[in-house]
Amino acid sequence: MTTARPAPDAVDPEAVESELQRVGRELAAAFPSSSRQPLRAFDARAMELATGDQELRAALFRFVDVVPACRSLDDLAHHLTGFLGEVGETPPPLAAAMRISHTRAGRAALGAAAAGGVRHLAHRFIVGESPQSALPTFRRLWNGGVASSVDLLGEATVTQSEADRYAARCNDAIAVLSRATAGWPTRPRLEADGSGPVPRANVCAKVSALTPLLAPEAPRRGQDDAARRMRPLLRAAHEAGAHLHIDMESLDSREAVLDLVLELLSEDEFAAGPSSGLVLQAYLRDSPDQTERIVAWARQRSAAAPPLTVRLVKGAYWDHELVQARQHGWEVPVFEDKADCDRNFEALSRRLLDAGSSLRVAIGSHNLRSVAHAIAYNRVSGGEDVDLELQVLRGLGDDLAHALAARGFRVRAYCPVGDLVAGMAYLVRRLLENTSNESFLSAQAQGASVQELLAAP
Amino acid sequence: MTATEQTPFANEPVLELRRASVRAGLQEALATVEARLPVEVPVRIGADRRAGDAVISTDPGAPERVVARAAAATSDEVQAAVAEASRGLARWRAVAAVDRARALRAAAAWLRERRLELTALEVRECAKPWLEADADVCEAIDFLEYYARGAIELSRGRELVQVSGERNDMSYAPRGVVAVISPWNFPLAIPCGMTSAALAVGNAVVLKPAEQSPALAGALVTALRAGGIPDAAISLLPGEGEVGAALVAHPGVHAIAFTGSLPVGREIVRSAAVVAEGQHHFKSVVAELGGKNCVIVAADADLDEAVPAIVGSAFAYAGQKCSAASRVLVAEPIADQLLERLAGAVEVLVVDQAQTLGTDVPPVIEAAARERVLRYGELAAREGTVVASAPPPDEPGWFCPALVVADLPENSSVLSDEIFGPVLAVQRVRDVEHACDVVDGLAFALTGGLFARDPETVRRVRDRTPVGNLYVNRGITGAMVGRQPFGGNRLSGTGLKAGGPDYLLQFVAQRAVSENTMRHGLVV
Repeated sequence: MTTARPAPDAVDPEAVESELQRVGRELAAAFPSSSRQPLRAFDARAMELATGDQELRAALFRFVDVVPACRSLDDLAHHLTGFLGEVGETPPPLAAAMRISHTRAGRAALGAAAAGGVRHLAHRFIVGESPQSALPTFRRLWNGGVASSVDLLGEATVTQSEADRYAARCNDAIAVLSRATAGWPTRPRLEADGSGPVPRANVCAKVSALTPLLAPEAPRRGQDDAARRMRPLLRAAHEAGAHLHIDMESLDSREAVLDLVLELLSEDEFAAGPSSGLVLQAYLRDSPDQTERIVAWARQRSAAAPPLTVRLVKGAYWDHELVQARQHGWEVPVFEDKADCDRNFEALSRRLLDAGSSLRVAIGSHNLRSVAHAIAYNRVSGGEDVDLELQVLRGLGDDLAHALAARGFRVRAYCPVGDLVAGMAYLVRRLLENTSNESFLSAQAQGASVQELLAAP
Repeated sequence: MTATEQTPFANEPVLELRRASVRAGLQEALATVEARLPVEVPVRIGADRRAGDAVISTDPGAPERVVARAAAATSDEVQAAVAEASRGLARWRAVAAVDRARALRAAAAWLRERRLELTALEVRECAKPWLEADADVCEAIDFLEYYARGAIELSRGRELVQVSGERNDMSYAPRGVVAVISPWNFPLAIPCGMTSAALAVGNAVVLKPAEQSPALAGALVTALRAGGIPDAAISLLPGEGEVGAALVAHPGVHAIAFTGSLPVGREIVRSAAVVAEGQHHFKSVVAELGGKNCVIVAADADLDEAVPAIVGSAFAYAGQKCSAASRVLVAEPIADQLLERLAGAVEVLVVDQAQTLGTDVPPVIEAAARERVLRYGELAAREGTVVASAPPPDEPGWFCPALVVADLPENSSVLSDEIFGPVLAVQRVRDVEHACDVVDGLAFALTGGLFARDPETVRRVRDRTPVGNLYVNRGITGAMVGRQPFGGNRLSGTGLKAGGPDYLLQFVAQRAVSENTMRHGLVV
């Protein structure tokens, strides 16, 4: 089943570039005609304001962040006006909001409106309170040619019982999804590739939620504690025929996470499965070294196991990594220049695709160029489209998912599940990411041409 | 680099211990240091050295391991040290500020070259876990670099009003002989901070370090002399409390810089107030004393952040920091939730040896400290409810369990005494105003914390709190030189903030000179 690929240096970069441009244009044309605007959730003008005005952006995010902790509409309005009060120049619509907050009735109205706004926004990104309640969404996505992956949102894990509860939720998600997906109609493109079947049920787990013992200076401590909760999950996934994906978080836990995954999957019990995967973050300067380690590990793994899925992403903790490094006087571990990061993303895509059938490659990006590049390189180097998975975030990459599905690619939406309180940190991070000046989506939203969006980094 | 073009101050980067390659160097450094134990720490007065073994420091995690054998200074040696310092003063004060600064920075470089070994020595002598020990060594380097720059700045004097016919200037002269009396809990950084500040502006120093950590004080003196501070300007008098007392009482001492407990600080202030026969100066006292530090948790706090920050502030280095959190004042609406999560987070703390990476709570410094902490633990259990504990290992070493206690009566001494150990008391309050009232009722006012998201709450607490260092939505320990100038109010201290722009002013005498520039009716 292994596709014979040419040696990496035999692949003509110009052929890749011209295929990339062609694919990119096709995809752009396949975006839903109603909109090339993936951020409908936010009033376009509010979005523009938030992107342009750092102070206002900060105030709005601080508000979104505190919503779950507010105890009444009055409390909500109080916080909102408190944050807005710190903005030097309040834009007219918000100044009006501040004015109505002077009366109790006004505050109740403002609080209700704000809570409604945040909840509406949250529901664009967070598909349901539980896997069970999100099933209709997953089914709708599947019918539309999009697979899904469930991410269970939660508060930080600081105690053993919180870790136990999170593990139980993961276990429940595996059970609920594998049961429900069994009855779904066949979608050949979504459930098999050159290496064999691709599970329908796909659950993500976070190591930091599986143990309260992670410590950057002592990765083993958290790793061992997480391992005892991860093994039953791998077992459950194997029995249910589900895929278990281990997410990557900040650099502080990377060693623990990577060692944990590779060590557990090397245990005899898991030599034949389940289908599983991990994440590679292209914004890390040392990600090429990590890639080599993963590729080497996958190559020596028993052929009885389903290939390890590697989801390549840019990485979602950029601000955190930058600030932490600066506060400690460390070398910044992430690329500070977006173009460097984009180039690395493309280089890693190629490296992973070159690794052949011991890996499954999933490209998690909303950047049209990055996506088109992976597709083009895979094709030009002799791969089949079906051997490449493309992943998007629910709520942000919906139009891209639609376009990819329409063009016949295997696409999977990463779907956060959990309550509003639990989801807020996630939501704020997603919002920050997508209103930053360098965000691909905000460039797209602001009407950059396809040519600009596809330009080489 | 010329003296006038100093590079801007930047904190010494702490070790990036999340990287395996960086961690790999630690055990090797520990082995190197262990091979050299015990360290000899002589009395060092000028070029003279007298070794001895009256003061023995041991590893708090393995009390049979001797880390240092130090001499104990005699009263004659106290006399000799002050006399030598007076001679050293004459020479050192004549050195230009830029050259003094160069010597301090050379001392910083000396420390920097030996960072891992010094860190390992702290792991052994004080049972400081690696992360904390490394931070202490970095802070020592920071003080040298920061005060060196500050002294150059100060040497430029201040602008005064100038009118025709006169020339006015104000300058800063050293006070004279400074006695530095330092604690063991930041065994390099604190003596280094007080000593380097005094030296930077031209004083001579006699250092009396804590008897629990003579080895690190010895290393500091070696570093300063290697950097070019004249032997006579920095002497070392290891010993017990009476050495410090004799030094404080000595009429030849001009200023005292002390960091330690309130009872000792009170005694120093009292003793220093006495003007002896023939003593032509008042002694000044810079004292950095204890704390009973509270963290306020408002109803809108983010507990995901508050819980780990409180745990770190209360239990890192077994709570043996004057800045450590010892009380939590939590608003009633989220009190249950906080207590449950805090208890769970403390139950998983690892109480273990300092050299083991991943240890949260190391042993306390000595047997007497352990007894004190255990006594408060028992009292807390009697008067309140122990809601969580992390058990100590069954090993020799001065281990104490980490405890969280609730429901204590308002008059409990657990709520007012500085326990200096891994005991955290949690108390419910109606709201933030109520919490501020509680803080206001305390004798100490060193550090404080606030977890709240409403900007108005933050403003209210800022305005009301008497503490010297308020930390908002973060841990309350780990002040960085130049970033969080450190020091308390009320009975927490007398001084201006360490690691801040005004600290050096405590070690100088101001001099204003006005010169008539009129000669025979002409401005010349």
